[in-house]
Amino acid sequence: MRPHPVLALVAANLRRHSRDRVGLFFIVVMPFVSIVFVGMALGGGAAASRLPVGVVAQESDPVAAAVLAELRAHPDLEITSVGGEEELRAGVRGGALAAGVVIPPGSTTFELVMTQSSGSGMAARSAVDVSVGRVAAVIEATRAATSAGATPAQAAELVRKAQAASADVEVVNSDTASGTPRGFAYTAPANLLLFTFINSMAVAAALVESRRIGMLPRAFTAPVRRGAVLFGEALSRFIVAAAQAVLIMVVSSLLFGVSWGEPFGVAAVVGVFALVATGAAILMGSLVRSSAQPSAIGPPLGIVLGMLGGCLWPAEAAGQTLTAIGHLFPHAWGMDALLTLSRPGTGLGDVLPEVAVLGLMAAVLLSLSLVLFSRRTRTL
Amino acid sequence: MTDTLINTLTCENLSKSYGGVVAVRDVGFTIAPGEAYGLLGPNGAGKTTTISMLVGLLKPDTGTVVVGGADLATDPMAAKAKIGYVPQEIALYPDLTGRENLRFFCRLFGLPRREVRGRVEEVLDLVGLADRADAKLDTYSGGMKRRINIGAALLHRPELLILDEPTVGVDPQSRKSILDGLERLVADGMALLYTSHYMEEVERICHRIAIVDHGSVVAEGTRHELVELVGGADRIELTLDGDVETALAKLRGLGGVTEAVRTTAGSVRLIAEGGRYLLPAVISTVDGIAAVTAVEVVEPDLEATFLHLTGSTLRD
Repeated sequence: MRPHPVLALVAANLRRHSRDRVGLFFIVVMPFVSIVFVGMALGGGAAASRLPVGVVAQESDPVAAAVLAELRAHPDLEITSVGGEEELRAGVRGGALAAGVVIPPGSTTFELVMTQSSGSGMAARSAVDVSVGRVAAVIEATRAATSAGATPAQAAELVRKAQAASADVEVVNSDTASGTPRGFAYTAPANLLLFTFINSMAVAAALVESRRIGMLPRAFTAPVRRGAVLFGEALSRFIVAAAQAVLIMVVSSLLFGVSWGEPFGVAAVVGVFALVATGAAILMGSLVRSSAQPSAIGPPLGIVLGMLGGCLWPAEAAGQTLTAIGHLFPHAWGMDALLTLSRPGTGLGDVLPEVAVLGLMAAVLLSLSLVLFSRRTRTL
Repeated sequence: MTDTLINTLTCENLSKSYGGVVAVRDVGFTIAPGEAYGLLGPNGAGKTTTISMLVGLLKPDTGTVVVGGADLATDPMAAKAKIGYVPQEIALYPDLTGRENLRFFCRLFGLPRREVRGRVEEVLDLVGLADRADAKLDTYSGGMKRRINIGAALLHRPELLILDEPTVGVDPQSRKSILDGLERLVADGMALLYTSHYMEEVERICHRIAIVDHGSVVAEGTRHELVELVGGADRIELTLDGDVETALAKLRGLGGVTEAVRTTAGSVRLIAEGGRYLLPAVISTVDGIAAVTAVEVVEPDLEATFLHLTGSTLRD
């Protein structure tokens, strides 16, 4: 049986990477250091945490009491009573509160306080709408029963029965946004993208070394198709990127209880992102001259792209302009997709646009980098 | 057609240009089985471009390369399988061991799995590195790296071994070991294409030599045939102090001198039949015109031929 030259290249490259102790430290240890410390700084916890919502209301008012009860019962909200409107606005402005609700006594018109660019605020608004809607439905049903001739006691009984019946209805696919996850649920996907990209760029050093010492031109003189050699080099880098991603997913699931979401969706996102990282690594390996350059250029570049893409802090904290700029690069699309998938009830269908954009970026990067790489290794 | 079947390598009319610059022009030669062929030329003469075309890294603008009956253009896989190529640089993975590097090349050249182990051991013995086979390459000396660099090209038992400056930076002991090994391979019937900056290496192991300059083969033949090209004339290098131009004119008229040129401000080169016997006459000819401060007589050799044909020494 004849061994395939692509496998020979992959085996040699992986063996080389396995002997790079510094590289292994950055692949095996560093991501988890980052996940733990940043995750703890962002509140720890694997699940999406509850959104803090401040409320200014008098609980003696029956409508306010009913709305407060609904808000407190909402699983995504953490309700805090605030002394006054000014304090509420300051809390929202400062980011301590995702949103605020002002309920004037005796009124059914409430004021919602939130910042326009805040994703958490939008999520809180959605949850508040649901809670207020439920109270409004009760008020409306009571009014309808009274208009139909029921006494207040009869109306209350009818509404109670209707509520009991509606409790039997199971909502299986809620599209209520839960906001940006916090703690490990946020830092695990963020660091997956960050380190998959950074370490892919760093291992491009081996590619530059192979080019510099003439290893690749020598391989081209073997009875092997040029495309097979290039494919072997690309596959080696893809395996490193994918292994980095899988390692972070497995360890973060086991140690921090991170729920990544529907497996096909996660595999698609991580797969195309690993291809993007592979393309970037080969591009780096084609452009630079010294094997020291990838490890000098790769991490800063990866961190900047990570910053723009919301891997170092939630994209909503960066503002609309930076978020828009971030979406010129792969990390932002990867974050959007992985955070979407971490929410219950989501799947591959919910992240198809992100997967398509990442796939396009991967195709462009891989094509460009392989053409360039092939040219750079053409002569002795 | 017969030649391409008899010869291990037949290349004809190879040309390559980059933009308007001609790197190789109409180069052609043949190498028979068991023959060592040397390619000599100053830097930039076109040797590397020629080799790149022979090993399939560069596509020639014109010309053909046939290795062991396989045309490199139409059947590159078959042709490449017959070539072992030893590049000038140590093209091996420095972070793998010698054995791992050899195994890699076995797989790259498609050796059957069951043959790999045995073939690696054979080559390790051949290059004398069996005892260091499991050490990482970056712990090897320069000579050891050179030997394993050659070994990697021998794993698939090529019909033609192409070596580009294989002894650069090697200590005399390793050089001797490498040259001895190459001579054994040639004796066993392998064809060899050899380039080197060391004239004595080429003279020692090559049966035929081509001198390349400005992209063309300017002369080809055995060492004896090439030396004959400049005749049996000696070369006399004179360093003069005085009226060099007048002295040069007088020397041109001296019987036996076939060529007299000024090489530097105070130096003159003479080509003369039996030059070593002409020295007293040379010195008396310039007596009173210029003082002879240094004299060197060089008997005809490949270096002299090379100088004569290319106008430069090999290390220029």
